[in-house]
Amino acid sequence: MRTWRTMSEPWRKCFRMLLAESLTNRLDKGIGGGATPAILGRASQSLQRVNPGPGTNPSGKPQFTKCRSPELETFSCHWTEGVHHGVKNPGSIQLFYIRRSTQEWTQEWKECPDYVSAGENSCYFNSSYTSIWIPYCIKLTSNGDTVDQKCFSVEEIVQPDPPIGLNWTLLNISLTGIHADIQVRWEPPPNADVQKGWIVLEYELQYKEVNESQWKMMDPVLSTSVPVYSLRLDKEYEVRVRSRQRNSEKYGEFSEVLYVALPQMSPFACEEDFQFPWFLIIIFGIFGLTMILFLFIFSKQQRIKMLILPPVPVPKIKGIDSDLLKEGKLEEVNTILAIHDNYKPEFYNDDSWVEFIELDIDDPDEKTEGSDTDRLLSNDHEKSLNILGAKDDDSGRTSCYEPDILETDFNASDVCDGTSEVAQPQRLKGEIDLLCLDQKNQSNSPSTDTAPNTQQPGVILAKENKPRPLLISGTESTHQAAHPQLSNPSSLANIDFYAQVSDITPAGSVVLSPGQKNKAGIAPCDMPPEVVSLCQANFIMDNAYFCEADAKKCITVAPHVEAESRGEPSFNQEDIYITTESLTTVAGQPGTAERAPSSEIPVPDYTSIHIVQSPRGLVLNATALPLPDKEFLSSCGYVSTDQLNKILP
Amino acid sequence: CGGQGWGGERRLPCVASLPICPTGAVNCQVSLRDLFDRAVILSHYIHNLSSEMFNEFDKRYAQGRGFITKAINSCHTSSLSTPEDKEQAQQIHHEDLLNLILRVLRSWNDPLYHLVTEVRGMQEAPDSILSRAIEIEEQNRRLLEGMEKIVGQVHPGVRENEVYSVWSGLPSLQMADEDTRLFAFYNLLHCLRRDSHKIDNYLKLLKCRIVYDSNC
Repeated sequence: MRTWRTMSEPWRKCFRMLLAESLTNRLDKGIGGGATPAILGRASQSLQRVNPGPGTNPSGKPQFTKCRSPELETFSCHWTEGVHHGVKNPGSIQLFYIRRSTQEWTQEWKECPDYVSAGENSCYFNSSYTSIWIPYCIKLTSNGDTVDQKCFSVEEIVQPDPPIGLNWTLLNISLTGIHADIQVRWEPPPNADVQKGWIVLEYELQYKEVNESQWKMMDPVLSTSVPVYSLRLDKEYEVRVRSRQRNSEKYGEFSEVLYVALPQMSPFACEEDFQFPWFLIIIFGIFGLTMILFLFIFSKQQRIKMLILPPVPVPKIKGIDSDLLKEGKLEEVNTILAIHDNYKPEFYNDDSWVEFIELDIDDPDEKTEGSDTDRLLSNDHEKSLNILGAKDDDSGRTSCYEPDILETDFNASDVCDGTSEVAQPQRLKGEIDLLCLDQKNQSNSPSTDTAPNTQQPGVILAKENKPRPLLISGTESTHQAAHPQLSNPSSLANIDFYAQVSDITPAGSVVLSPGQKNKAGIAPCDMPPEVVSLCQANFIMDNAYFCEADAKKCITVAPHVEAESRGEPSFNQEDIYITTESLTTVAGQPGTAERAPSSEIPVPDYTSIHIVQSPRGLVLNATALPLPDKEFLSSCGYVSTDQLNKILP
Repeated sequence: CGGQGWGGERRLPCVASLPICPTGAVNCQVSLRDLFDRAVILSHYIHNLSSEMFNEFDKRYAQGRGFITKAINSCHTSSLSTPEDKEQAQQIHHEDLLNLILRVLRSWNDPLYHLVTEVRGMQEAPDSILSRAIEIEEQNRRLLEGMEKIVGQVHPGVRENEVYSVWSGLPSLQMADEDTRLFAFYNLLHCLRRDSHKIDNYLKLLKCRIVYDSNC
């Protein structure tokens, strides 16, 4: 190792400068952080060391190791003797101090008052020599040569003694019997006057298991007791505490180690900590996945698949390929549906199930329309369809027998062919006028439905002047008729708010059947002789309406019926709707009632909706004409109130 | 609040938790104990800030400059004859001690104000130092107000003339020579740290003596 003497001269100078710098820094940081007086400026250059590390003194010079004050009342400084080179007397080390008092440096260095109390190589300053907040400087001399110096203030070197009197008490034991909490208490160091508040201490506790090497630290606390949580009962612990002045950074020494022996675990306690059962979870997971896999494989088999997932019937129309509908081939669809319609007749045949409609309307003109309109129009198209004439079959055809359908299923319609006449009962009779006009304007060939027409008995409500069995001709021939019908509104009546769709052209346009009020009273249609004549030939199949007379002549009904029906004055001729009372009066006459089915009881075009019961139910106001033990067919969805009453308890 | 932060930094004191007089209350009388508690919290906080500020400054500007080799700093408050050890502090009457504290606090009003101004003007003024300086200045004022309230309760009636030490270090803070200026800052911060520790100690002593009857 190099010594000072062995170094060459330039090296010595170089080192001097370096060391002077580093030494002063080291003094400031490592020891006390005080400031050196000006008189020490020269002294720093005399401090020469090679490799000055803390605690090491390879050159043999004594130097200060530590100065500390444990309680802010006294302080002591320690140094190390260097390795002695040669024959110098090691006992000649002296310490001198100087402190600034009353704003002046006393220029004399005083010698250390007590070399003994603090141990060897130390100097102890008792309270009389200690002043806080006063700068001190000390120097170490060896044989008169200053070997070390430092400056500090006492409040900067406070490092309290360790706490004493550590003890612990058991707080509680956990329910599992594995862990426990303890409270550790101690006393502040005896020489620190915390009671008078001269010094305020904070403490840090550390603990560890006996066979561990790493201490666990807790946060500093100001109180002298602290709980320690979650110690294992089957382990033994060591605890130690150290303290420091509250604003300082340096801790004092650690206290003695406290040995904590917790009571043994009870034999009933859980032996192992709960460890997450990974193994079990993996096993069950694999098992579950296997099960799912098997299920999946099996589900491929049809049978099980059917079992598990029964097929839901797809809505279909017999005979109609869904592709047809998709492709939009309306004609074909129409024809198919028409074929279907041919099946209808036996369904309806002679059963005259008349739609009896009760109309409770105060204000005939607007109320009914408005309310009905609202009711009808406010519903879904679907709903209205259903309400007004839910089909039994799954053809989308709206029957012309539902006079109130405003929004018919256009796509599937065509319905107003001859078969539709069968379902006349629902016919609300339109305007005689129009029909009568139409009769005159018959342009088209009579439909073949004449014959079946005669079969229609009680299609019509006994509306006095109005009723007409509405025969909706689904043929296109009616279209042309319809238009002229529509074109003759003015003289006779208003066009009603409601218009029955009689047909839908393949093109998709709607052909409305004229609904007109019968304002002109008895239409000129009532011309029996004409009627008779008309009935034979040009039966108006092109238009949907028939005069009552017209119909009657085709029907084997005595004309007197007609007269009688006309003779009922109570009917409101202007109104297409028939009031309940008026109708019931009709019903009250059995004769009339008898005849009613046979005669064409005019079925008004429109039914006012009495009650909207549900999305799928409408109770229409209908006349309470009793049906003679006939089960009505509700294919068109009309249920009179009376009928309803029969059904329902 | 209060206590140590994770990184060792000090947290703001829990001053807000102490009861205060609602503004405008005339006869509100906060108890002496609460006043002292608050004062101690403030003084402790100020001392923490001063220590940190000094360390920060030392680390940044004083390294290698050999400030420590220069003359021992003499603080402008050294002229005030404050007790220098425990015996003296115990012997002094608490009213006198309170007045001394007030004097020291007042002596620092001016230097703190200028410290903030000058630190702002420093080249690369570090925010940590500046923010702490601002905070210390404000807290010092609050502590002064609190102390005056305490004096009003402990020693009512007697109103001491406002005695304090004048600080004359402003010119050196504004020196053109960087070395001189930095040393002036170093000196000032060192004195601030020392005086704040002194005030803190006195107040803790007084609190134990007055509020807890020397039995903390």
